[in-house]
Amino acid sequence: MTELEHKVRGVDHAAFPTFDPKATIHFYRDVLGFPVVHATCALGWGPEAHPDFIHFFFDIGQGDRLAFFYYFGIEKYEDKNIPELIRKARHLAIHVDTEEDLAEYRRRLDASEWPCELQVRHETVESIYVTDPNGLLMEFARPLRAITVEDDIDANLSADALMAVFEDAEPTLEKFYALKAGIIAERYADEPAHHSYV
Amino acid sequence: MTALYVLDVVDFRILAEVASKDPTITVRRRGPYFELSSAGVIAIDRAETGCRNALWYSSVAAVKGGRVTTWDKVSLVVEPTSV
Repeated sequence: MTELEHKVRGVDHAAFPTFDPKATIHFYRDVLGFPVVHATCALGWGPEAHPDFIHFFFDIGQGDRLAFFYYFGIEKYEDKNIPELIRKARHLAIHVDTEEDLAEYRRRLDASEWPCELQVRHETVESIYVTDPNGLLMEFARPLRAITVEDDIDANLSADALMAVFEDAEPTLEKFYALKAGIIAERYADEPAHHSYV
Repeated sequence: MTALYVLDVVDFRILAEVASKDPTITVRRRGPYFELSSAGVIAIDRAETGCRNALWYSSVAAVKGGRVTTWDKVSLVVEPTSV
């Protein structure tokens, strides 16, 4: 647990390179309806190899922004060697409040050339996924239930157990479960041990 | 003694409820968790819990003195670690 004051306020912006600004603007502005809220047009401002660029921003709600860089005169770079696991792990999840809102974004995607690829009910969120014109995996997620104090405590215990198991020469989930159980038993040793459930 | 911990949230409480019907399993609170303990095997039938996929496969918080030997569409089984 940290005792440092938590002063940050969400995402200012997340930025990615694009080699197809036309498709990117079409996808985010025209298909999804994200307003373009800022664009920096820089002539000769960048490093020697790519001095001219446009850095443009989409509003993704609550003032948070998703941004792209388009560099003039730069050949498209595509890393074809990214393993599927890494490609899927790197993604941006955009929050929506309700089932109706999630369905609305699914409708917008399904009516476009970038249809929803997957819809999943996870533990605490339901999500839809799509790959954007830049190959970035995007997620829209709506909450399925409120996050409780118990969830937060458990997450912190998991973090402690994960740090501990990472010290092991061969970390496994089985060892993680055992380490976490040890932390739980120690931390809550004084809890009444009577049969208190039924 | 083997213990299986599940978090006391609405998603996982049902596992403690199902386990409490098994006379070989003792269910008690341990902090924010339910501690399901047994001298032998702890087995929970998925159908009885009615858990959907994502909840079923994220229901284990921790395991003491044993290991998960089965965790499939049908059941979750924790067996004592042989010493």
